[in-house]
Amino acid sequence: MAETKKKGKKKEKEPDIVFFHPDLFEVPEDGSAPFLKGYRCKKCNQIDFPKISPCPNCWGEEFEMVALSREGTVYSATDIYIGQAGMETPYVFGYVDLPEDLRIFAQFEADVETINCGDKVEVVEGIIRMNNDGLPLKSYKFKKINE
Amino acid sequence: MKFQRDVYIAGVGETDFKRQKTDFDALGRQAAFQAIKSSNIDKPDIIQSAYVGNATNGLVTGQTVFTSLGMCGHMPIINVESACSAGGMSVYCAIKDVATGLTDISIGVGTENHSMHRASGSAFSPAMTDIETMHGAVMTGKYALRARRYMYETGATIEDLALITVKNRKHAANNPHAWFKGDISVEEVVNSRMVAYPLTLQQCCGISDGAGAVVVCTKEMIKKLGIEKPVKVNGSVVRSGPYHNRPRDITADDITEATAEQLYEESGIGPEDVDILEVHDAFTIAELLYYECLGLCKKGDGLKFLRDGQATYGGQCVVSPRGGMLSYGHPIGASGAAMIASQVKQLRGECNGYQVDPIPKIAMTHVTGGGLSGTEHAACTMHMLSAAW
Ligand SMILES: [Zn+2]
Repeated sequence: MAETKKKGKKKEKEPDIVFFHPDLFEVPEDGSAPFLKGYRCKKCNQIDFPKISPCPNCWGEEFEMVALSREGTVYSATDIYIGQAGMETPYVFGYVDLPEDLRIFAQFEADVETINCGDKVEVVEGIIRMNNDGLPLKSYKFKKINE
Repeated sequence: MKFQRDVYIAGVGETDFKRQKTDFDALGRQAAFQAIKSSNIDKPDIIQSAYVGNATNGLVTGQTVFTSLGMCGHMPIINVESACSAGGMSVYCAIKDVATGLTDISIGVGTENHSMHRASGSAFSPAMTDIETMHGAVMTGKYALRARRYMYETGATIEDLALITVKNRKHAANNPHAWFKGDISVEEVVNSRMVAYPLTLQQCCGISDGAGAVVVCTKEMIKKLGIEKPVKVNGSVVRSGPYHNRPRDITADDITEATAEQLYEESGIGPEDVDILEVHDAFTIAELLYYECLGLCKKGDGLKFLRDGQATYGGQCVVSPRGGMLSYGHPIGASGAAMIASQVKQLRGECNGYQVDPIPKIAMTHVTGGGLSGTEHAACTMHMLSAAW
C-alpha cells in the first residue's frame, strides 16, 4: 500500500465488513443470488478458483470471469470444536465439489451434525469470523438445499 | 535422489519428547551432541556441513544450536524450514552432501520448542494469507475431513480409528523418550474431548518439544571412526505437494504415493520387505490411510491390515514401533529427524524394553509437511534404511 496511515488515529468502525478478497465472491446489488467467481484462462480455457495468475497450466496472463454454479455436492464435512484462536466454536467446514470440476473449501451455514458427504448445497453470503476490530467478516458459505 | 556413492549413518541422537522448559537450541544441541558422540567423533572440526530443521523458533536456529559445541566457523550451517517435514528434510540435505561427494561427513538435526514459543493452546493452522485459513481451516479439521470421507466410503467407525492410538501407545509403553504411553482403551480414546468430528483429543498428537539428530558419512569414514553397526541409507526422497483445486480422493494422498513410489524405485526395496515403519501419524486417520498409500496393503484394505495385527509385533510391518507422533507428540521441526534416529536404534537392537523382535533389518520413515490450500501437503520426506554389518 502506498499511502501511510498515522498510527494511533482511531478509524471510524464500519458496521459491515466484506471478505478481504473481491476476486472471490459477488453479491449483486440488485438482490439477485450471490455467486463464486471462477476465472477462465483466455489461452488454454482452464477454469480456476480462486484466481491464480499466471495460469499454472500454460502461463497465460489474461482471464475472463465466469460465474460458477451456485449448487454443488458435499465431498466431506466436519464439525470443529477446537478451532483457530479467536474463532467461536463450534463451526462446520468442508469441501464442496462444483460441476465445473472445482473443489471449494468453505464453511457451512449449518448446525453441527447436519452436514454429510453427498449432501446438495448452495452458495450463500454469511459471517465466517470476526475481524481484528471484532466486527463480523462476511464471505461465501454453503447451505443445505431444501432445509 | 540419485546417489553417486553409498551413504551410511554413523550415529544418532534424540531427546525425550514432552512439554519442556528447555529451549529449542539446547534440545537440538543435546540430540546433536548425542549423535556426534555415538559416531565416535571427539573433535568439533570433523563434521563438514550441518542442516538444522525448525519451523517456529526464529532465525539462524542452526548457528544457535552449534555455537557452544565449537562447531561454527569451519562449516556451512544451513537452516531448513518446511513445517512438519523440516527435520526429515535436514537429514535429506546432509545425505545429499555426502552422496554427491560435497562432504565426507555431515549432520542433520531437527529441533523445536513449541511450549516456550506459544502462548495459546489452539489448533495449528496454515498461514493467515491462505484463503482456507481465512475461512477457519485448522489441520485437525483437514484430517477430520479425510476421516469423514474414509468412514463414508468404507464404513469404518470412530472405534476403528481409536485402535491406532491404542496400538501406538502400547508400542511406546517402555520407551523413555515417549510422552503419552501405556494402556489406553478404545472407550477412553473415543470418549475424550471432541476436537474435530470424528477426531477426539486422544486421536491427535500432542503439542510437545524435542529434537533428533543424524550423522551421515561415507563408507571410508565409517571405517575411520570405527563404527560397529553402520546403517545404510538405501534411499532418501523429498517431494513438493502438487497444487490442484479439482476434486480428488483425499482418502489417498498424492504426495505420499509419489514419494513412496520414488523411494521404492531408487532403493530397490519394496513395501513387502519393510520390517518397521515410522509414519506421519499426527492423527489416527493418517496412519490408516498411509498403510494403503505406502502399499503395505491394497487400497481399501487399511482397516483389515490394522485389525489383523499386521501393523504391530508379529505382523507384516511394525508401524510406529517408538509409539509414533501419537505417543511422542509432534514438535513439528523435530519429528522427521527423531523418527530416523529411533529407527536406527531399532535396527541396532538398542531399544531396551521396546525393541522389535526379531531385530528388524529394514526400516522406513515418512513425514509430510504443511497444509496449503490446493495441496494435501506442501512437502513429503521419506527414507529407507537397512542394517549393514
Ligand atoms: Zn492457461
